[in-house]
Amino acid sequence: MSSRERVTPQMTSREILEYLHHATGYFVTNNERDVSQSDFKCRIMPHTTLKVAPYRDDTGFFAMEITGGATVHVDLLRKQINPFEKLRLVRKSMPNTLLQAGCRGRSLFGYRPYPDNVLRLAVRLFSQYIDVWRVYDFMNHVPSLLVVAEEVKKAGKVLMPCICFTTGVDHTDDFYVAKVEEIISAVGEEVILCIKNHSAVGSPRRISELVQAIRRRFPDLLLAYHGHNTDGNDLARMVTAVLEGVKIVEVADHGYGGIYSQAPALSFIQTLHDYGYKTPGFKVQPLVDASDILRLERRQYEQFESPFRGIDPTVKRHKLTGGAASMAFEQADQLGLLERMHEVFSELVLLNQELGNIWSVTPGSQILLTTALNNVLHGRYERPSDDLKRLLLGRYGPFPFHEPQEWIYQKVLESNRADGKKWYQILADEAGIHQVPDENLEAKRSELEAQIKRPANDEELCLYLQFPRDAVEYFRFEEQFGKTWLLPPNVWFKRGGFEDGARITFPDYAGRTHHIDIISTRRSGDLVHTSLLVDHHFQTHTTPVSAKGALPS
Amino acid sequence: MFKKLLIANRGEIAIRIMRSAQELGVRTVAIYEETDKAAMHIMKADEAICIGSGPRKDYLSIERIIHAAKTTGAEAIHPGYGFLAENPSFSKECTDAGLVFVGPPPDVIRDMGSKVIARRIMTDAGLPMIPGTAVLEQEAAGEKEAIRFAKEYGFPIMIKAVAGGGGRGIRAVQNESELIKGLKMARSEAQMAFGNDEIYLEKALTRTRHLEVQILADQHGNVIHMGTRNCSIQRRHQKLIEIAPFSLPQELLDRVCDTAVKAAKACKYINAGTVEFLLDEQDQFHFLEVNTRIQVEHTVTEMITGIDLVREQIRIAAGKPISFTQSEVHFRGSAIELRINAEDPKNNFMANPGVIQIYQSPGGHGTRVDGAVYQGYEIPRYYDSMLIKLTVYGFTWREAVDRMRRTLDSLVIAGVKTTIPYYKQIVNDPDFIEQRFDTSYIESHRYLLDYQDEVPELEKLARFVAEINAHGYNRHADVS
Repeated sequence: MSSRERVTPQMTSREILEYLHHATGYFVTNNERDVSQSDFKCRIMPHTTLKVAPYRDDTGFFAMEITGGATVHVDLLRKQINPFEKLRLVRKSMPNTLLQAGCRGRSLFGYRPYPDNVLRLAVRLFSQYIDVWRVYDFMNHVPSLLVVAEEVKKAGKVLMPCICFTTGVDHTDDFYVAKVEEIISAVGEEVILCIKNHSAVGSPRRISELVQAIRRRFPDLLLAYHGHNTDGNDLARMVTAVLEGVKIVEVADHGYGGIYSQAPALSFIQTLHDYGYKTPGFKVQPLVDASDILRLERRQYEQFESPFRGIDPTVKRHKLTGGAASMAFEQADQLGLLERMHEVFSELVLLNQELGNIWSVTPGSQILLTTALNNVLHGRYERPSDDLKRLLLGRYGPFPFHEPQEWIYQKVLESNRADGKKWYQILADEAGIHQVPDENLEAKRSELEAQIKRPANDEELCLYLQFPRDAVEYFRFEEQFGKTWLLPPNVWFKRGGFEDGARITFPDYAGRTHHIDIISTRRSGDLVHTSLLVDHHFQTHTTPVSAKGALPS
Repeated sequence: MFKKLLIANRGEIAIRIMRSAQELGVRTVAIYEETDKAAMHIMKADEAICIGSGPRKDYLSIERIIHAAKTTGAEAIHPGYGFLAENPSFSKECTDAGLVFVGPPPDVIRDMGSKVIARRIMTDAGLPMIPGTAVLEQEAAGEKEAIRFAKEYGFPIMIKAVAGGGGRGIRAVQNESELIKGLKMARSEAQMAFGNDEIYLEKALTRTRHLEVQILADQHGNVIHMGTRNCSIQRRHQKLIEIAPFSLPQELLDRVCDTAVKAAKACKYINAGTVEFLLDEQDQFHFLEVNTRIQVEHTVTEMITGIDLVREQIRIAAGKPISFTQSEVHFRGSAIELRINAEDPKNNFMANPGVIQIYQSPGGHGTRVDGAVYQGYEIPRYYDSMLIKLTVYGFTWREAVDRMRRTLDSLVIAGVKTTIPYYKQIVNDPDFIEQRFDTSYIESHRYLLDYQDEVPELEKLARFVAEINAHGYNRHADVS
């Protein structure tokens, strides 16, 4: 095995783990999914991903994280691509690289716990393309990982359970080592244990201590490190992690990312090179080539970047995860709170303490950020969200260190209760994790088929079970407009109409080039007539627009 | 040869006739109704004349059409198919007005238009006939004769309108009570549809195939045949797919073609016509009717013979002999013709008028398109729903099927629902490919209607680009 230069999707999970155990050096995983989510609101289009795919495939990453997190939902909702189709495309264009998914445990790729049979179906179907499953629970509630973990193992894929990491008085090495023990006793040692530093907190020394502590207890356990560079210090933490024995570290391309997402691969590799550490099978030139392309592509996604770009060392206090930190500014802007961001961040610091020092990562990060914004806007706990109520009711699992104070329970749980129940009665009657009953999958399939008026396959059912409304809207969109992801991002994100004579060129699914030339635009009443030359054939399309609909400029 | 020909028709057949006429150096005159003024045949003619406000009534007005011919100086009138093509009065009045009618003489049209007279003439000529009655008398006498016939030949029985044709005015009955009820209904329907309530009975044959022979006859006594066609794939007696030749043993083909020539001679036929037969399960053929017009499906015969039938029609009408002898007619390969209609097959083939947003015509070796539509054309709801006829030739039957499949894939008509996706199902159906079909094919293969209406991917993307252009942003990307 050690003669291999890199792992490949053709290897079994056991072969991959064996290889990692025996390989000298360390490996890097390109987390495009998290870069897209943290720095570009998940909007990196398949067009860009496929453009750099051959270079990335040649680079020799351990894996590329391409789906999971919020991406599955955004694929359907804003990019109008079937998440499974995207995986097929990436798989085809990156045949030598493992594909990875980031999974939120029982919440899978969504925001609420799903029934067991939905989880099992999803993992089984995504495992057709996904080789590595990075699975976490924002409460570090290990039972919430187990259904997914069991199904990943059954599919013969690499399981990468995570401990969510943050700093604070409760977040000791003993606590995390105990969590690792709990995980290992549940899923065994044939895994890669990932330290998930989503909030970019802790010094290199803190990470060093944690890795040492875990390795003392589990010397043969394969370790991975997933961090963000929000505070500008992740490169140091990543280097330290490898020096202490971490085998896999997640990185970004230097051509984009690098703000709220992962630190750049090349800087990391160059630093460790000086320490004498090597990445087996890794090639630098294709990494550079990919970034040369991505630099140019990045300009098309500018509108999705956070209004505040740059290093934010204050993350150490508010601890928002990368994606949530970039979104915080935008949400605050929409609520007219941009000038009061310092108040929001201070509120977050307070909330972290009051709400049990939980981990600020999805869905916890959304709960904390929404609560902070509401508290600043309307007064402390005056407008508690349903998700905050669920958190206090223990729906996501027990608080790991301490429970919130009684007055918080009272304000949150008694808010908007028509029955006038007191908070302690509510806790007594409703608290705890509710086992979500299994779905009747065939009944759901019939329900979907009635809406889309055609048979639905398993993948479509799987998407419908996770995102019922948005999946149906996507299926209808695809029926009407087809594979719009084929169009270049500058068309997809176009602002203003097209000028007469503009030409759109793109390859289709089979690689054949097509041209759409804009001939003319004419408005009559509430109709806009667009005349096009489509592969040299003249077509006129009539589009109804509302009376206030803007004429193309 | 006359110098100017008026075409008393519209749509693809009008253009088809113009092509042959123009090749002969004959100038063409199109007629049109006001409701049809965007029709393509008007643009293709050398001159055009509006004959009325329409819809339909003016295309059926003998007086207006003859007036148009006189006004434009046309010397001859070609009726095409449908409208007045098989109206003996039209042929007669043209002749009376000093115009040449490109078709058979009025008495031939009249005799062959009457199913009973036609049966009598053909019986006398010794043609194999389906057992049938004479015209039934009204009321009890007619019922009595019908019951007697049913007892002798058994059910099922077809009640047919004397003036019917082209699949219209036919009713099948399975038992005596249906027969009695059916007689009354058939009379009333015949009266409404044809202005003539005369009916008669024929024994209904089951699992039949529709076999027809193209004939040509000139004013000099020459009668020849141009081979067979298989028109078995029909929906409610309306042909959907036509094939040439009918795949049968040569001996049988020879016999049926000779019989058709005998039929043409028996009725003193002149010009192009079709003798139709039903072929039963034992490969016995029975005379059905004679169509006294150029038929929609004449293109398949042209494809396998290489002979321009309309050119011959015009020449014969001008008094010339047929340009070739029977021995000079050679048959080669197979041809298939599809009628591409603006209809929704999934919705009981309901007509689907509208604007043709995209029209991309197929091409290539062995492909023929007879159409009368163009991009941006608004299909009027008043007329026939046929948009184009697609005909392909193949050196073998399988090659013709393969070519038709390819041709359908490259034919794009968007904006209205068409029969294209349904035909795509058929050309992939093993029974069709193996030529296992009879007149029950459409009914017995209803599962072929289970298809998805597919819009070409590129067209969908173009529509999306147009939407971004119209709104000034992509509403689906949340970038407003």
